[in-house]
Amino acid sequence: MDLSRLDRRIIFLIIAIVVIVPMLFDVTPEVQITKDTEQIFDAIDSLKTGDYLMVSFDFEAASFPEMRPLASVILNHSFEKDLKIIGLALFSEGTAIGYTLLEQIAREYDKVYGVDYVYLGFRPQYVSAILGMGESIIKVFPEDYLKQPLEKYPDFLELENYENLPLLVSVADGSLPIHWADYANARYGQRVAVACAAVMVTAFKPYFESGQLIGPAAGVKGAAEYEKLLGYEGAAHRRLFTQSVVHLAIIILVIVANVSAYVWRKK
Amino acid sequence: MSIETLLAAVLTLAIFSFLYKENPFYRAAEHLLVGVSVGYYLVILVEETIWSKVAKPLAYDQNWIVIIPAVLGLMMFFRLSRNKAYLTRIPLALLIGAGAGVSIPAMLWARVLKQMSASMLPLYTISGIIVLVGVITTIIYFYFSREQEGWFGYLAKTGTYFLMIFFGATFGYTVMSRVTLLIGRMEFLLTDFLGIVG
Repeated sequence: MDLSRLDRRIIFLIIAIVVIVPMLFDVTPEVQITKDTEQIFDAIDSLKTGDYLMVSFDFEAASFPEMRPLASVILNHSFEKDLKIIGLALFSEGTAIGYTLLEQIAREYDKVYGVDYVYLGFRPQYVSAILGMGESIIKVFPEDYLKQPLEKYPDFLELENYENLPLLVSVADGSLPIHWADYANARYGQRVAVACAAVMVTAFKPYFESGQLIGPAAGVKGAAEYEKLLGYEGAAHRRLFTQSVVHLAIIILVIVANVSAYVWRKK
Repeated sequence: MSIETLLAAVLTLAIFSFLYKENPFYRAAEHLLVGVSVGYYLVILVEETIWSKVAKPLAYDQNWIVIIPAVLGLMMFFRLSRNKAYLTRIPLALLIGAGAGVSIPAMLWARVLKQMSASMLPLYTISGIIVLVGVITTIIYFYFSREQEGWFGYLAKTGTYFLMIFFGATFGYTVMSRVTLLIGRMEFLLTDFLGIVG
């Protein structure tokens, strides 16, 4: 039988089983920390208590399962270090997600809105927003997500533009980190770290190699590495085991189908 | 179980049903997604652009200067008229001019000069040599003003191997990303919806 012509629904069924079964077992795999994840961890870790950290939630709802563990580890690390977090979103869909996540994690650390963190919300036209913040953040975001004037939060008024911002983290599922590199980094010299969906890594790789971007922590693997650096095993660790099993199944399917197609054609 | 969880689970299963074959449940969920997305973006557009950038500055701050970009924006609608469509060239010219002015220096610096300098690695390292060979042979592959044959063809062929490695790595990462999304949905179904997994 030529397995390369197998009904695709059987393959879907195999993948579904391979995803479900590992979830029933509580196995956490051993994670090796890569240089990339260590770079973004070190960039945040080197900040001092009270330093500003801007976190841009540049992702959409569709990629939430992959982006949530990444955003969580970044926020956990930042709150642990008592950094002052400024959240924002340059994709409209990420706005509410970013706010909810920030609120959830802030609550775990007893952080106060307006003192330890603020959420600026969404601005359309990301190029203008990125460039505008280089001149004045308050001009781009005169109000926060809760429609309160930024002047209401004196702890954040020192942050005029990128000059007072030691680090910016883009948690992204698309190409937005490239725009952060093109405009915030190239024009204003802003340090930009990236936590991104695995699918974007090869597109960003030249920027990491050239030092224009820092990181990345990529996908669930990157989030699991970050969890290990923070000293706990969370959601990313659990998903990584399932992911490894699925990857193995896909590799076996590709090999079996290719061998079968080769043998079948020879006949 | 909350109504939101139930609704999310039913919609997830409706979308997954497409994996078996096209069916009305899938189409209903797809149409719902399109409708909700359009509504969401419309609200965002009104809230973040029309209200915050035009109406509010005019009504509360008497910032009359916003009339100029607002009028230029409205001029784009002349595209709908056959004999007045030429008027859209004015805002378009401004958009392209300003866009090019903003982008070209930034792109030249970030995407050309910085990348060129990052590619110039010391040649006494293995990675330096690989980067040099990779950059040159890949550029040769995209050089179309000369027939790719003889020694030139061999170099171009080498370039394709580098491209294939890139495509392979990208595909691997894509599988990794998409599998995570599937795991996320399955986790939701098994944990929040069915309560099988703790």
